[in-house]
Amino acid sequence: MKRKSILLLSLALIAVLAVALFAVACGGTEATTTTAAAPATTGTTAAPATDTTGAPTTATTVANAAPLKIGTSLPLTGGKSVPGSAAKQGYEVWQDMINTAGGLLGRPVELVIKDDASDQNTIVADYNALIAQDKVDLLLGTFSSLLVLPSSAVAEKNNMVYVTPTGASPKIYERGFTKTFMSQQALAPDAGKVFANYIANLPADQRPKTAAYPTMDDPFTAPVIEGIKAIFTAAGIKNVYEVTYPEGTTDFDSIVNAIKSANPDVVVHGAIFEDGVAIVRGMLKAGFKPAWLFQTTAPSTGDQYAQAIGPENTEGILYHMSHSQKANTPGNAEFVKRYYEMFPEAKDLPEDVADAYAAGQVLAAAVTAVGSLDQDAIANWLHANPVETILGPLSWDAKGIPQGEFMIAQWQKGLTEIVLPENVATAPIIAGWKPGTPVPPK
Amino acid sequence: MFVQTLILGILVGGVYALLASGLTVIFGVMRIINIAQGAFIIMGGFITYTAWKRLGLDPLIVVVISMIAMYVIGWAIYFVAVRPVRRAPVTTSVLLTFGLAFFLEGVMGFIWGNNSVTVRPSYVDTSLHLGQFYLPQNLLYGFILAIVIMAALQLIFTRTWLGRSIRAAASSEDAARLVGVKISAVAAVTFALGAASAGAGGAIVSLMGPFVPGSQILWITRLLSIVVLGGLGSVPGAVIAALILGVGEALMSTYVSPLWSPALSIFLIFFILAVRPQGILGTKLREDVAQ
Repeated sequence: MKRKSILLLSLALIAVLAVALFAVACGGTEATTTTAAAPATTGTTAAPATDTTGAPTTATTVANAAPLKIGTSLPLTGGKSVPGSAAKQGYEVWQDMINTAGGLLGRPVELVIKDDASDQNTIVADYNALIAQDKVDLLLGTFSSLLVLPSSAVAEKNNMVYVTPTGASPKIYERGFTKTFMSQQALAPDAGKVFANYIANLPADQRPKTAAYPTMDDPFTAPVIEGIKAIFTAAGIKNVYEVTYPEGTTDFDSIVNAIKSANPDVVVHGAIFEDGVAIVRGMLKAGFKPAWLFQTTAPSTGDQYAQAIGPENTEGILYHMSHSQKANTPGNAEFVKRYYEMFPEAKDLPEDVADAYAAGQVLAAAVTAVGSLDQDAIANWLHANPVETILGPLSWDAKGIPQGEFMIAQWQKGLTEIVLPENVATAPIIAGWKPGTPVPPK
Repeated sequence: MFVQTLILGILVGGVYALLASGLTVIFGVMRIINIAQGAFIIMGGFITYTAWKRLGLDPLIVVVISMIAMYVIGWAIYFVAVRPVRRAPVTTSVLLTFGLAFFLEGVMGFIWGNNSVTVRPSYVDTSLHLGQFYLPQNLLYGFILAIVIMAALQLIFTRTWLGRSIRAAASSEDAARLVGVKISAVAAVTFALGAASAGAGGAIVSLMGPFVPGSQILWITRLLSIVVLGGLGSVPGAVIAALILGVGEALMSTYVSPLWSPALSIFLIFFILAVRPQGILGTKLREDVAQ
């Protein structure tokens, strides 16, 4: 009896703690991402689609048609959950907007989203299950080249088109696949090209003399760094430190100590997120401030990045960019508006959200043009035709390699601005990284 | 650079010691390898984050709150999940706590979401400077806290009836029971103490960088290698092993490659199992001697 009492007490305690922590963590009033997104994830088969004001639209008849199931597996937990969660939001906004606009092939879109826990084995199982068990009609891709590598192989093996918001590692396109398409502008080796050329063409007295290249051992980040290093080296910028660290590294202070000892003028960092934050914070702790700081991916996560390193320390940090809220691309304003409506707690719009949305746009454009779910026809169409997206026009070669060019963005006064190329810039580039610069409140 | 690397390695080692102390205490008394210790640490980090973000409390003050909260959670988890398998073979408890780790990861994802969170009090990215060397304040406080917690654990073990009961139970459950020690209560308190030390460690981990519920997986391999190297169940051994690993990883990262740093902990496990299976300060179990 006593044991039973203790067991019941323990269960009650756990339940009370969980509820209390949930209440405190959520502040009692804030809607969570999951709550806000819930209606979208269930598809619109049960209720008529509505426009942004909630009024019924012409999609009412579409809601009665059989849903068109589109499957994806995202890293919603684990080490890549930051971009994975953002991608989920992007897909949900796309689903909401396309259903509002009448669906795809006259059918409401229903997303089937699985969580691969950032694991390469799990994602293979997930995509196999999407195809064999969930019997999805179409696929959308996942986040990070690390996960695109195995999941795109599953799609290709099953003769299904795989439009993916990331997958910039060249390795993905060296396997002879014909149905993998990345919905961004360029592959990793070219991601930092615009930035590298800008630095390389600075007047000699302003050009950095030395560079350090820390990077995560990742199929995306490493080629970005190699691409920049090649241009820098050709411009006579000396490589004084180079290191590759594994995913899951927790101690970055030793790496920063080595960078500090090499004293480079520019640090070009192949980062994903936590590592990008840790290196910046490590440099602050070490009292080391290189003249220029470029990072991949991490600075593009918006407010999460700013809060993690301190908004006052973001000033001048550069990164490659696929999407800007300010871009005058077709449908961008509507996308941005709908995003903030669906996720009112969002403080900004990470580009990972936009990349996922663009993947949906690419898939929808091809399916609509072909007028069927014929996977070969969809793939052939994408090889032959450009698609207008919120990222700008995208097109692909025979291997599925995108043929565009990334923009370069910079954190300025707590916000991100496009600074390169100059013809699309929203602000002029400012020289150097200036941590400790006060940021006006948003 | 060498001296600075040593300083950083020692400070990181101190944090490792704090994180590993709970794992080794739980094994020492209960013979349970708690794979969920990494999840306990991250949960402590999230509790710290909530108290800092919502209540504006300094994470170093939150250490106390985090420890109390994790003590209660550990106590409850013991009775619900661990107690039924306490006398089962060690593989059963490994499987149970492995599942528990992922269950807790899911719970944390439900409560706090799977977006990265960061705890940034004003001093978090600053250092104390001693001449040309610097001591990052987050690591320094972690190091000091590790010493305090270790000393407190040592005092509890050596100067209190509870500690004597715990040591008696660790030595021989049957004999302890004969002299009136309530083994079940001692086990519950020990498991809760292990969780409480993870709560303190979580507060320091939260100062080291952003984390998500999945970050729990980053810690468990390293912590296991520390307790194996130090001797399963030995807190002083865990301290020595943590310092060896902290300094070793820092030197490996600086002078060889960070790619080899994770391999160091695995190498140390192989080495210690081959040369001194009971670890640096561990004692041979009767089963070991019998073999």
